Amino acid sequence: MAYTFRGGLRLEEHKNTRGKRIETLPPPKTVSIPLQQHIGAPCKPVVAVGDTVAVGQLIGDVGAGLFCPVHASVSGKVTAIEDKFAPMGNRVTNVVIENDFADTPDPSMQPFEKSLADATSEEIVSVIRRAGISGMGGATFPTYAKIESAIGKVDRIIINCAECEPFICANHRLMLEDPAAVVNGVKVLLKAVGVREAYLAVEDNKLDAANKLEPLVADSQMISVRILKTKYPQGDERQLIYSLTGKELPAGKLPADVGCVIFNVETCAAVFHAFAEGTPLIRRIVTVDGDCVRTPKNILAPIGASFGDLIEFCGGLKKTPKRVVSGGPMMGRAVWDPATTVMKGTSAVLVMSSAYENATGLPPACIRCGRCVRNCPMHLMPNYIAQFSRAKDYARAEQFGAMSCVECGTCSYNCPGHMETAHDIRIAKNEIRKAARNKK
Amino acid sequence: MDTNPETRSAETEPMPADNPAPETEKDPAPEAASSEAPLPEEDTEAQEAPQPKKSFWKRFGAKKEAETGDAPDAAGKPGFPERLVISPAPHIRTADTTRSLMIDVVIALLPAYLWGVYVFGLRALTLGIVSVASCVLFEALFQLILRRPVTIGDGSAVVTGLLLAMNLPSTVPIWLPIVGAFFAIVVVKQLFGGIGKNIMNPAMAARVFLFSWPEEMGTFAEYGLRLSGVGTADITAGATPLVSLKAGVFPDVTLADMILGKTGGCIGEVASLLLIAGGAYLIIRGVITWHIPVAFVGTVALVTLLFPRTDGSNVNFMLSEVFSGGLLLGAIFMATDYVTAPVTPYGRLLYGVGCGLITVFIRYFGGYVEGVSFGILIMNLLVWYIDRFTMPVRFGGKQVEKKQ
Repeated sequence: MAYTFRGGLRLEEHKNTRGKRIETLPPPKTVSIPLQQHIGAPCKPVVAVGDTVAVGQLIGDVGAGLFCPVHASVSGKVTAIEDKFAPMGNRVTNVVIENDFADTPDPSMQPFEKSLADATSEEIVSVIRRAGISGMGGATFPTYAKIESAIGKVDRIIINCAECEPFICANHRLMLEDPAAVVNGVKVLLKAVGVREAYLAVEDNKLDAANKLEPLVADSQMISVRILKTKYPQGDERQLIYSLTGKELPAGKLPADVGCVIFNVETCAAVFHAFAEGTPLIRRIVTVDGDCVRTPKNILAPIGASFGDLIEFCGGLKKTPKRVVSGGPMMGRAVWDPATTVMKGTSAVLVMSSAYENATGLPPACIRCGRCVRNCPMHLMPNYIAQFSRAKDYARAEQFGAMSCVECGTCSYNCPGHMETAHDIRIAKNEIRKAARNKK
Repeated sequence: MDTNPETRSAETEPMPADNPAPETEKDPAPEAASSEAPLPEEDTEAQEAPQPKKSFWKRFGAKKEAETGDAPDAAGKPGFPERLVISPAPHIRTADTTRSLMIDVVIALLPAYLWGVYVFGLRALTLGIVSVASCVLFEALFQLILRRPVTIGDGSAVVTGLLLAMNLPSTVPIWLPIVGAFFAIVVVKQLFGGIGKNIMNPAMAARVFLFSWPEEMGTFAEYGLRLSGVGTADITAGATPLVSLKAGVFPDVTLADMILGKTGGCIGEVASLLLIAGGAYLIIRGVITWHIPVAFVGTVALVTLLFPRTDGSNVNFMLSEVFSGGLLLGAIFMATDYVTAPVTPYGRLLYGVGCGLITVFIRYFGGYVEGVSFGILIMNLLVWYIDRFTMPVRFGGKQVEKKQ
């Protein structure tokens, strides 16, 4: 029996690259590594222009507060340290490194000196912190902080292998091609968090991956594979927890409050690599797809490689694109510059030829069909919240539960009237937060 | 919308790159022929579509012209445009549109309507055409006069027109649906802000408005009395089943005939089976949910079963109440009108029950024989409150409200 939740949608999957092996991107000439790729304080550069850096060398650090260090993904010379616009619209300092193609490894990259059985939780957390690992599913919360906040509070770990967004196959391929890294990463995390139960939550459209994982966890008393029904947004942490445990996590609460902590599957693999090889988070798997890409691929790309490099590696463009999306089509961000770089949370690059999907050319209009209400995974009334938001009646929007919205986009996706429901709610959430801040 | 930087640069300044005449180079096409093949077509389409005309047709909701952006740049190889479009997530959308939903509704309505044409003659066809045409025309005129975008392309006016015609007796003069269309589209729909904003079902409100002509609206042709398309004829008015029921006697048509649609009445309301089939189609297609029709018809069935107003079998009476008058047409097609129905599942059940109760009360105690129209219109006005009080319990919501 597959676990599931109420609401949500069955989307067209478009998982075009599910059968394509992960390919390694040929080393790019230059990489531009943003120093803030996570939630928390931006890093300060610890290298200077003209310095020679090695693969895995620390280039950005803060040292205090919520942060996540950044490492060089190629070896070579730092040619610039400059401010650039990040996809979020804020300015972020970038370290630009010219590749010398020597791949000199940094001497700091050494396996952890103790075996997993001997390592303590604090030691593992510090390894993870030093490796600069943040959540690789998109939210990019620093993993060490997540573990620290979960220790003592949670009784199980959930590994999010749902990958419910269309197009993206990065996690799926990782589970197929390196299931051992995933399972070993789970073991490291179990030790770090100090719990005895972990679920690998896989959607039932990836049963081949589940079959690869099953034999590896067969001898483990603590790890089990759970099959979820394929539905969007199954990978949302709230729906994931509800599907597996039946507990509803209210808005504004953390999974730890209901005894769970969730890690993305690729984060697990990164944790394993950090522990077993000492490799910091300097590369990740990116699905490059969309109707403009000649041959869609899953690419292992260094952090800091530009989207243009990835697209070129996929045989270039087939049509003139109108949009480039960083992340999945449901929650990803449209970027304006093909030189945008791969970051720790970039799971996909989608190059699309359509600007907007309203083929009728009619002005958007809500016809109150109620589909958004029927499919909202948070059981809200998105049409009313969006209406209040457009009327700038944010108090009313809050009363109708705007802050519970997880911005999954189900409402906008399914709107026959082409309303930007999710966006209107997003605006309302922003205004409500602003008002709350002003009150204080 | 008209700022297609690709188009403009491709047409006015063919880029000073390698070859200024990309068309001539295409013939040899040594590269991948498969992907190159559709490109010349799109190229010509882009040139055929003249810019000024575009905005005109767009106002009528015509399909967007071929993706002009697909044309390759002068080098023959597609590149990134000067500007990429930034739009809020999600970046993919369902293929369903208001228009496709309305087309589904029309498809579901047509069998019952065509049965009406078969039973009542070409007059029913004329009325339908006049009604649909005047609804569409009034909407376009209103929006043109007020310089609003013309939205007749969404198909909602067609549905309103068709429903209005189906709610009329076949004997009405041809000017009547025009008056009705004016009231439905201009007064009920557009004056309240157009599609999605009206608080009452336009067709239903127009029908009630047309009761101002009781003679015309109250004369029903007998079953099989086919009128010619235009002109008037001597009409032998027949009693509809509802009139008999009001008088406390069983109608003289058999129950089977009522179910099969072999009875007198409004054009679209007689073919009960075809209406149910249309409703099933809409539910299967996901256009409407089962809640409103089931709650509406179920309530009428239950109340009439418990409190019959004729002697004889309760079940027979209940069935003749359900299959007579506009109940099925109203419950399946008019009470489920998105704009004027609640959006929550429980709200829809409550709304259906309310419609059913008011329908029975008016049929039993009211001055009119027909209660469906009033039931729906009254419940239309309560939709906001129904939605408000049947708000779904939000995910994990109870705890959060206590906390704050």
